[in-house]
Amino acid sequence: MNRRAFLAAAPLIFAALPAAAKTVLKVGAIYVGSVHDYGYNQAMHDGLLAMKQAIPGVVLLEAENVPETAEATRVMEGMIQQGAKLIFATSFGHQQFAFDLAKQHPDVFFEHAGGWMMAPNFGNFFGATQAAWYPMGIAAGKMTKTNTLGFVAGVPIGFVIGNIDAFAMGARSVNPKAQVRVVVTGGWSDKAKEAAAANALIDQGADVVTMHVDSPATVIQTAEKRGVYSIGFQSLAARRLAPKGWITGLGFTWGPFMTATARSVIAGTFKPGFVREGLGQMMAIAPFGPAVPPATRALVMAAAAKVEKGFNPFTGPLTDNTGTLRLKAGETLGGDKMGDLDWYVDGVIGKPK
Amino acid sequence: MSMNFALAVLASSIQSGTSLLYGTLGELVGERAGIVNLGLEGTMLIGAAVGVAAASAADDPYAGVAAAALAGTAANLLLGYVVIGRRANQLAAGLTLLLFGFGASALIGGPFVGAVVPSLPDLDVPGIGGFDALIWLAVPAAILLWCLIFRTRWGLAVRATGEDPAAAFAAGHRPDRLQYQALALGGALGGIGGAHLSLALALSWSEGMTAGRGFIAIALVIFARWNPLWAVPSALVFGGAEALQLQLQATGVDVSPFLMTMIPYLLTLLVLVLWGFNRRSAAPAALGRGFLGVE
Repeated sequence: MNRRAFLAAAPLIFAALPAAAKTVLKVGAIYVGSVHDYGYNQAMHDGLLAMKQAIPGVVLLEAENVPETAEATRVMEGMIQQGAKLIFATSFGHQQFAFDLAKQHPDVFFEHAGGWMMAPNFGNFFGATQAAWYPMGIAAGKMTKTNTLGFVAGVPIGFVIGNIDAFAMGARSVNPKAQVRVVVTGGWSDKAKEAAAANALIDQGADVVTMHVDSPATVIQTAEKRGVYSIGFQSLAARRLAPKGWITGLGFTWGPFMTATARSVIAGTFKPGFVREGLGQMMAIAPFGPAVPPATRALVMAAAAKVEKGFNPFTGPLTDNTGTLRLKAGETLGGDKMGDLDWYVDGVIGKPK
Repeated sequence: MSMNFALAVLASSIQSGTSLLYGTLGELVGERAGIVNLGLEGTMLIGAAVGVAAASAADDPYAGVAAAALAGTAANLLLGYVVIGRRANQLAAGLTLLLFGFGASALIGGPFVGAVVPSLPDLDVPGIGGFDALIWLAVPAAILLWCLIFRTRWGLAVRATGEDPAAAFAAGHRPDRLQYQALALGGALGGIGGAHLSLALALSWSEGMTAGRGFIAIALVIFARWNPLWAVPSALVFGGAEALQLQLQATGVDVSPFLMTMIPYLLTLLVLVLWGFNRRSAAPAALGRGFLGVE
């Protein structure tokens, strides 16, 4: 074949390639940990995979173990250089870096998980976790025999304190003698400390342990080793770590939100929002473990249905555990105000900060 | 403070302190020979990652421990080659090992993040309690190391190398060979320390899981005055400080958790400052300096 014939034929060869080779949108995602952590990062990754499945032509660029430092800026910048037009900054501590980068790239859209900052090309999303912890509290309150519940917390930001409070309120609603003990490890993921924290709570008499750290795995495994119950968080996959002691758990289902966001970027209709969705949308309850009796399951699911319809446990009058009135009758607490929460309700022992 | 609380703190201190003790012993041997290993954290991380990988592959936690020891030795020998064979600056080489350890351990441990690994079983001794094999062996290891360093010819030669390598060389020893041997032994101990973290405490691998314990161990070597027997209470005290702050939080004490997290580090600083007033320096005289003598 001579050169002229080849040049004439070349465009036909390219046209014959399948149309799916065309990239519709490049999406970048940064994770603070590994996507195989049975926890927070895995749930984010699963949501992004669901988005990729739903929209043909989406290319996903991912970076794991991106620390919550200026390194995050470098990684996101790299993804933008590769053509990413939508960036998911999935960890709380990535917020400032993503926000500053958003100012420099007004044509790239950013979604941050768990914070509050907003800009024309910067939106915020998270599960409305607090109310969803209420049914978890009910499960724990019913299953405990020692009336002591243990909670391992990573970093005591307002949203985490809200989870603890809702958990305690749920437990107290079915078991007025239940108490929640809290141990803060100081970071989202320090496995040895999480194991020691879980042991400390069990030493203090807790027979149901739960957590808000990046990966529930260590706390659940420690609980299983010591023969106590556990309630999971972040990812629905953790159940297989505790075949005997698993009660239930909460997991994030980010897929629909991420798909909708990607579609809006493709269509040019992206609108930044402070999105907080709860049970039934961004969150789901994990299957129950073998030890949970049917009556308790029914109670938990009934409470979950209430939450899905809009029940907010943070409704006044509400006093904290020192007796101070924090919410007046009729007042409610929710949305981004939850980030300022710094008190524990009655039933939680200790002080948060 | 009730008996129950004290016992709970003690049990937790022993568990937290064991990996620290092995790390301290590992660093101690190398420093006795005159080599500072600032990359102990890297060695421990490699031990932790290889421990998880090997335990998963062989479905046996003890295989994991053995592999971790070998990997730790390899890591330290790498440092040895750079520092002894190529005469690099010890501090810089150590920090390089640290960074290398982070990356290598992440690479090795990558497929195992979140995986359930076979963990070290508790061996019960009636009357005392159930701890895993590494915890039971920790104090005997310290005693054995003391005997090795202070009661054997090899130990004498190693100490001589650390104090004055020229004199050791004049006496007929090979300082470079002794330093390699000391580093090899130290690496094995450091690797075992890392393996204890991943196979007994955290029951899994995650990146950077030593969380600074390697550096604490380096400080503990100074605290223990380069004596393996003193390393035991040092590791217990530091492990105890971490256990104490978590147990105190669980009891609901009314102190900010941020302040509580500082306790172990404040304690280390306090001890180092108090110890610093004692002028008689126990450090091996040639620590950190390379032997530039005959090949």
